[in-house]
Amino acid sequence: MTAAVATSEKNTTPAAKPARPPRDEDPRNPLKRLARLFDKGTVELLTPFDECGFVAAHGLIDGTGACAYASDPTVQGGAMGDEGCRAILVAYEKALADGVPVIGLLHSGGARLAEGVLSLHAVGQVFAMMTRASGRIPQISLVLGPAAGGAAYGPALTDIVVLGPAGRVFVTGPEVVRSVTGEAVDMDRLGGPEPHGRRSGVVHVIANTEDDAFAQTRRLASLLGDQGTMNPDAVADRDLAGLLPDSPKRAYDVHPLVNGVLDGSGVELHPKWAPNIVTALGRFGGRTVGVIANNPLRLGGCLDSVSAEKAARFVRMCDAFGVPLVVLVDVPGYLPGVGQEWDGVVRRGAKLLHAFAEAVVPRVTLVTRKTYGGAYIAMNSRALGATRVFAWPTAEVAVMGAVAAVRVLHRRKLAEVADDLRPRLELELAAEHEKMAGGLDRAIQIGVVDEVVEPAATRRALAAAIAAAPQRRGQHGNIPL
Amino acid sequence: MPEVVRAEMVANVAEVNVKIGDTVEAGGALVLLESMKMEIPVLCEVGGSVTEIHVAPGDVIQEGDVIAVLQ
Repeated sequence: MTAAVATSEKNTTPAAKPARPPRDEDPRNPLKRLARLFDKGTVELLTPFDECGFVAAHGLIDGTGACAYASDPTVQGGAMGDEGCRAILVAYEKALADGVPVIGLLHSGGARLAEGVLSLHAVGQVFAMMTRASGRIPQISLVLGPAAGGAAYGPALTDIVVLGPAGRVFVTGPEVVRSVTGEAVDMDRLGGPEPHGRRSGVVHVIANTEDDAFAQTRRLASLLGDQGTMNPDAVADRDLAGLLPDSPKRAYDVHPLVNGVLDGSGVELHPKWAPNIVTALGRFGGRTVGVIANNPLRLGGCLDSVSAEKAARFVRMCDAFGVPLVVLVDVPGYLPGVGQEWDGVVRRGAKLLHAFAEAVVPRVTLVTRKTYGGAYIAMNSRALGATRVFAWPTAEVAVMGAVAAVRVLHRRKLAEVADDLRPRLELELAAEHEKMAGGLDRAIQIGVVDEVVEPAATRRALAAAIAAAPQRRGQHGNIPL
Repeated sequence: MPEVVRAEMVANVAEVNVKIGDTVEAGGALVLLESMKMEIPVLCEVGGSVTEIHVAPGDVIQEGDVIAVLQ
């Protein structure tokens, strides 16, 4: 196995410590893990494979250059010491110089206790490097075993975290939790797929097998590292209308629509955390794009504090790496309620406004059914600088539904009529209101929707709009919002 | 492990699509809720046999309320 891992001559510095023979039998051997990450026979080590706990390498992923570092859990549980952290920095320096993604393979108990504050300082230097590289090169973390303390915050500073089946992420392990607070909890509940997949949002992709974990990591590195170019002529139209239910009130799962727009299925990030908004990377017209879509099946597709934060971070990541955005809108509004207000929906919702308004990548919006109120603005509206806004012919663009609006605007007038006459009056007033304030025609008239597009002509229209826009990228980091 | 299906948001229960003892596949609809002026089916994630139903048509349910339990 290790025969596939060639140590590059110039980097084989004779280590002060005797080189340990690779343990072929141990699947946690970092060389084995690096060999699984890179294309066969392309791995070159950048640092010696010794007792320092980490090894850095570069190679190809799907034919495109990438750098990586891997912890060595067979030495002090993969703990991060001064020398090991320097190996991580070597991987970053090479990745920054080459402008390629850097991938961390983590299985580490955190800072090396025996080294004391020196190891904390070293871990801090890794964090600083990750932050300096943020938004400049894609950073992906694949957590293959327990990753605690510094090994937990490291991935959290990167753009995407993939969790393998044995991966667990926590600041302090079960033993410490028990001794400090008396709380009895196991590693799964503390930092396994369930809490990080659904509750915390720490992990973007959860893999059921190690093979899948490596495959997803490779795919993400390829999507971000080799984005390709948009070829709108290669985009075939598909009739996407059939992916929506007949009744405009009926909720539906938006995933088939997301996949219908993309060339094939993409990689969804945070599928179970804030599932009322879908964020996915995939190819469209051969080029990497990011798709953001309201999912009416969950919370009716409402925006809320968590989904706004999730989408905001995704928008900023795509913007930093020059990945165009396709925004599929079907949103009834922000989720109302005391829970949301106390949860900071104003502060956290503002992140999405900021993220879109700041983004310079091509970003096209398609309103499929409806877009109301504050959520209308937040979902890449014209006001926030959308490259182009499309709407399907039956889409509604409004502050709120027309009947709901007239109940507010004409409260007194409606209260004066008899109960049995009220519904009819509401409908009359609503029709009048729609003419004045809402409706697609009005949206086009004032320039907030550029074009009505048939569902069957949508893919080509979206692709053409992206291809025609200046291909720019934001000059900012990707702070873990 | 029983699958406990809870309400994600405040809603009115419009329909209950299953009864105790029914076997439901993953992705099958358990109830239909009305909220945000929309009809939102609640689907089970894993699937199994319905052992408890805690809602009836016309009920108003709060976020976190148990809708059904599957075994």
